[in-house]
Amino acid sequence: MKAVLSLALKSAWARRLTLGIVLVAIAIASALLLAVERVRHDARQSFTQSVSGVDLVVGARSSGVQLMLYAVFRSGSATHNLRMDSFDAIVTNPAIDWAVPLILGDSHRGHPVLGTTPAYFERFRYADARPLAFATGRPFAGGIAGVFEAVLGSEVARTLGYRSGDRITLTHGMAAAGPGHEDKPFAIVGILAPTGTPVDRTVHVSPEAITALHLDWAGGAPLPGLAIPAEQVRKFELAPQEITAALIGLKNRADVFRVQRQINAYRGEALMAVMPGVALDELWQTLAAIESTLFVLSALVVAVGLAGLAATLLAALDQRRRELAILRSLGASPGDLFFMLAGEALLVTALGVILGIVLLAGASVLAAPLAREFGIHLSPGLPGGNEWTILASILATGLAAGLIPGWRAWRMALADGLTPRN
Amino acid sequence: MKRPLLFAFLLSAATATLAQHRHVHGEGRLDAALDQDTLTLNLELPLDAAVGFERAPKNDKERAALAAAEKILNDPALFRPAAAAQCALQSVQVGMPTFDGSGGHADIEAAHTFRCTVPAALNSVETTLFQSMKRLYRLDARRVGPGGQGAQRLTPNKPVLRW
Repeated sequence: MKAVLSLALKSAWARRLTLGIVLVAIAIASALLLAVERVRHDARQSFTQSVSGVDLVVGARSSGVQLMLYAVFRSGSATHNLRMDSFDAIVTNPAIDWAVPLILGDSHRGHPVLGTTPAYFERFRYADARPLAFATGRPFAGGIAGVFEAVLGSEVARTLGYRSGDRITLTHGMAAAGPGHEDKPFAIVGILAPTGTPVDRTVHVSPEAITALHLDWAGGAPLPGLAIPAEQVRKFELAPQEITAALIGLKNRADVFRVQRQINAYRGEALMAVMPGVALDELWQTLAAIESTLFVLSALVVAVGLAGLAATLLAALDQRRRELAILRSLGASPGDLFFMLAGEALLVTALGVILGIVLLAGASVLAAPLAREFGIHLSPGLPGGNEWTILASILATGLAAGLIPGWRAWRMALADGLTPRN
Repeated sequence: MKRPLLFAFLLSAATATLAQHRHVHGEGRLDAALDQDTLTLNLELPLDAAVGFERAPKNDKERAALAAAEKILNDPALFRPAAAAQCALQSVQVGMPTFDGSGGHADIEAAHTFRCTVPAALNSVETTLFQSMKRLYRLDARRVGPGGQGAQRLTPNKPVLRW
């Protein structure tokens, strides 16, 4: 048996080009299938982890998913702002425990800038109700005092190499090369600990800072001939007139339906309150069909790859008649030949799957920065959860594909292989 | 001067319509809230799903249909919370449409309140509504509780809201 195994390996090595191509096909197919599963899982995970303890997200009336995307995941943009007086009116609701305004629109070297109050750092929760923590420094001071202070998310600090005390300038809009706010630099007063959420990519400043930056702006461009130096801005009224969205926490979570109705019925302005957990579930409901389609398609690609494996082994069988017959005449039983062929299929599938995992790991490292733009944290590294089930099914199917040539080899008559034809 | 005013009026009318909930025949809404030991289930159905019409009843048969619908919504067994949570029904309130002549659509509402001895064990609520209202094909359920929020679509084949 050992001799047969060694001969089988040598025989496979002799056919390494054909088997290698099949192996690569299986590797790509399994990487694809695993990637679909991983992106699905990680997208859900990232989105679900990104917000916790927020009962309602309020914005101008648009779609709930859109509001969530820009308010929580910093992707996409708002169609309208809401007026500060609407925000002030809403938060008088006695059921509301806390409310934090969010102002979006500016950026720093591709990273979104969020204008918010210091309460954000106390109130915001992610994952399992974990609060934000400072790696270094402190929150910016509220009001006028902290107007040119900024707090960085961990990733901003890491990728751009900033430390507390450094000075940065912001850019108008989300384009990396948009018109700048160079005349008003910010001092970094704090850097947040990593959270694995869009907070990591965000530059936080006070709402007053956003107003201050745009004092000498109108219609999205600096006013010609008017420049208000940074030291002068404190003389102006800096309380924002408009905000992009707001996060709301309730004293009693069960009141959420009632408060949501009240905000949606607010007469001063067309507002929308979205329950983040509900909006995400509804998003998954919408995406479920697309996800299953992608999954079925990639499963079919794997099936094609394994069918290729079976076809290759079957085709080789004809050329290997002589080889197998010699093995038989040397004492290998039909069962040995069966296991040899099935084992070869299993081996190629297993190597293909391993190569597929390596491919996927490489691809996720490459794709991670891109995915983060959408607020998705791709987990590199070893497969987990459902992925093991998928890998096991690929191996089982590979083995099943090997049974066909194995069976043929079993049935092949000894004499047939030894009788020279042609 | 009149035009902007009219425009503003139209705009506010349009947004007022938007602010109201949607009304889709065959689709109901269920809001489930678990607050400490109190489970509140608020159900809202287009009247059409319950009786097949959305206006004042015209004859005895339609009056009987309305009465039957009211009875279904008053049924203490309309919702079955997970047995392990040991929930007892506290109150049922059913709001039947008044047909005040404004025309358009009509909804019926029901609020079932339970008190649960073991609220932590509440992981599902089943409804028998689909069995008694054949015209109802979907309930968009939203839930909120200590574990957070979520949404789920209940159908005649999947009439169980899960946490």
